[in-house]
Amino acid sequence: MNTIRIDHLSRVEGNGGIIATIDGKVVTDVKFSIYEGPRLIERLTVGRTPEEDVSIVPRICAICTLSHKNAALRAMENALSVKVPPKVILARELMHMGEMIESHSLHIYYLALPDYVGFPSAIAMASEYDIEIKIALEMKEFGNHIMKVLSGRFIHGENPVIGGFGKYPTREELTWIKNRAIQFMPFVLKTVSLFCELDYPDNPEADTLYACCEPGDNRYGFWGEEILLSTGEKLSKDDYRKLTNEFVVPHSYAKRSRYKGKPYSVGALARVNNLGERLEGKAGRYYEKYFDERWTKNPLFHNAAQALEICRCFERIPQLVDELMKYPEDLPIVDYTVKDGKGTGIVEAPRGLLIHHYEISKGLVENVDIITPTAQNAEDIERYCQIAAQKLMDEGKKDTIADRMNLIVRAFDPCISCSAHAAEIQEAPQENWKERLAEIRKEDPPIFVGVGNPSRSDDAAGLELAFALRKRGVPDVFIESEIKDRRKIWKDEDRMLIFLDAIDFREEAGKVTLIPLTSVLNNASLSHRILPFLAVNRNPGKLEKACVLGIQPDSIEPGNRISPSVRQAIITICAEIS
Amino acid sequence: MDKDRLKIGIYELTGCAGDALLILDCEKELMDIFNAADIQSFAMAKSDNINGELDIALVEGSVTTEKEIEELRDIRKRARIVVAIGICATLGGIQARFRDPEEWEENYENVYGDTKMEHTKALQSKPIDAYIDVDHYLPGCPISKEQFLYFFTRMLKGNPPEKYPIPVCVSCKHNENDCLLNRGILCLGPLTSDGCSSVCPSCNLPCVGCWGPVEGANSSSEYQLLLDKGYDADLIKKKMADYSGTKIAELLDQLKEEKL
Repeated sequence: MNTIRIDHLSRVEGNGGIIATIDGKVVTDVKFSIYEGPRLIERLTVGRTPEEDVSIVPRICAICTLSHKNAALRAMENALSVKVPPKVILARELMHMGEMIESHSLHIYYLALPDYVGFPSAIAMASEYDIEIKIALEMKEFGNHIMKVLSGRFIHGENPVIGGFGKYPTREELTWIKNRAIQFMPFVLKTVSLFCELDYPDNPEADTLYACCEPGDNRYGFWGEEILLSTGEKLSKDDYRKLTNEFVVPHSYAKRSRYKGKPYSVGALARVNNLGERLEGKAGRYYEKYFDERWTKNPLFHNAAQALEICRCFERIPQLVDELMKYPEDLPIVDYTVKDGKGTGIVEAPRGLLIHHYEISKGLVENVDIITPTAQNAEDIERYCQIAAQKLMDEGKKDTIADRMNLIVRAFDPCISCSAHAAEIQEAPQENWKERLAEIRKEDPPIFVGVGNPSRSDDAAGLELAFALRKRGVPDVFIESEIKDRRKIWKDEDRMLIFLDAIDFREEAGKVTLIPLTSVLNNASLSHRILPFLAVNRNPGKLEKACVLGIQPDSIEPGNRISPSVRQAIITICAEIS
Repeated sequence: MDKDRLKIGIYELTGCAGDALLILDCEKELMDIFNAADIQSFAMAKSDNINGELDIALVEGSVTTEKEIEELRDIRKRARIVVAIGICATLGGIQARFRDPEEWEENYENVYGDTKMEHTKALQSKPIDAYIDVDHYLPGCPISKEQFLYFFTRMLKGNPPEKYPIPVCVSCKHNENDCLLNRGILCLGPLTSDGCSSVCPSCNLPCVGCWGPVEGANSSSEYQLLLDKGYDADLIKKKMADYSGTKIAELLDQLKEEKL
């Protein structure tokens, strides 16, 4: 088996890797793994006070620390029925803008741009792009400064607390922030042009579902009470589990999410897709100028969307400062008593939708649920990597796969400590399917489903194979046309489900391949009509428990003759199974 | 030129990456850092990383997988000096909350169920000196910029870093803050190592103890004082353990003996 491995994706925050497996000419599998060990964050604050919780949970991630803080505060204040005055909301928004600017500028200039201009790091880039590096540094420094003024320090500031702030910025500090934001505008506009005009490759392209917070009032913002999907659907924040459906995969300590069985994306690109029309001022004008259809299906445009959001933040900051100035400098923390209850808080972290949910009992945290953006993006990261890798294989550009996968992973800006560093290619050994089949059969006996079209020559291979297996007394063999209720075949969730089918891998006729169902579903070039239909309703965590035993057809022209090589493959498989 | 520059590697194990990020946050000094030293490996900042002989290895994060033990031992072999940066590498951090293996296992199963991980085995979180010899410690959650730059410039000149044997209270007094303990607020300042310039008390908020215990802290006195203020013994101990991992466990056990 040929594997492309990027072990330590450098220049993303945290520890992870991506591995693509190639069997002949087909990219059969892509795994985005988080090598970082488990921290059991959701269990750390159980039995602690709400105040300890909001201090500890932002330590999940250094980059998104204030997003975690804001999500935790919003959830905890909901649980404890604490109502905060408008000044607190404004100060929190300003704080959030600081983090957006810091994180986005660090990401687009330091972590993403070197790839597009061909340097190993921003430091190495400095010789040719000294102005860009200087802008990036100053922009990031400005974001850091706002974070420090509002939260107490650069990272893991403790100043924001349940019910308000320990200390508010002075009028002088606010004025300085406002003036600096205004002075920065020319550089901000330069940043937007630079990243919106970058030459993003057209591969990968695929539709996806975008999810973000609905800020309400037709505004562009970073939190809300509802989740907005690109289909127009809205979910109450308390129903977040309908979207996220978290599950565990064996190759990563970060959990995964799918909505109605399908991967979805969150982050700056999701926000610009869902909310972009609400952008005002210069950000609005740039949106009009640059946003087009490519942004709706190519994850590489995350970087352009981030630049647009930097502009939005710089325009919003002076407004926020003006509003904050209307209130007296000192404001006591809202008094509250700890009572039992539960609450959810949703915010947009720089890299996407972040959900915190708490249940308080006897004054202490009893239950914690935290769903991070990277956990939600992981499935789409794998899917887009697979699409891109397959297309590059088809174009005969195998040696560029690792670089492209790096680019995609980096565009998603994964914050891997939410629970990734570089790519590897694996070549499947010949006859690999026999070993894997034997392994599967060592556990529970699998369920077989023969699919295909009996009037299209070799496309009947799956059906022929299923009939042959039945004849030899193999139990639990289904035939596509006989399945009235597809739920029936998914009933035994813990048993492996093996689809038998003719699949065009562009190989020699009769070659047998055993691959996970997900890689067929994710593989645009293996256009397949029936498998996605049969896969619907399957618990997404159990999709791993399904695979496809494919035979390379010689011909799928109308007709009812099965070619000799495919016939031989059917006999070989039959001998192996029965 | 590279012959004269110290070879330095910055490594991240399990944690929030906040200490590595804080080094990137030294915006104005960052170029100087990269010029003054030969940064051989820094995964967060560059992709052309080399794993060779090092003068100094800075390691952040705690050890939570078998793979990380191997990685850490390899770093130790290659580096003349190993420095633990941040509270996770120093003491195990917030993720080292569970003391006994059974408690950890129970919580692990609660999060991951019975899914068998393919790539590496998970372990209870431990500081890096549970597996290798560590030459210096730079605590904090995260480390502070001033403290790091001071440490870094001393190391560049071949001088050992200075310890911070003072509690948060010292800088709190320098900052002319009112003592929160006097106001009846549960503040861990007297027990906690300084290095943050008393950032939380300066915001009128109690110290959460994120730098870990200060050397020679009078824990029993603080414990008694907080008990007298009417705080629950269990709550005080839990709070003292929030950031200090399992290392503080012994200290907490002693408190029990003295008071009961």
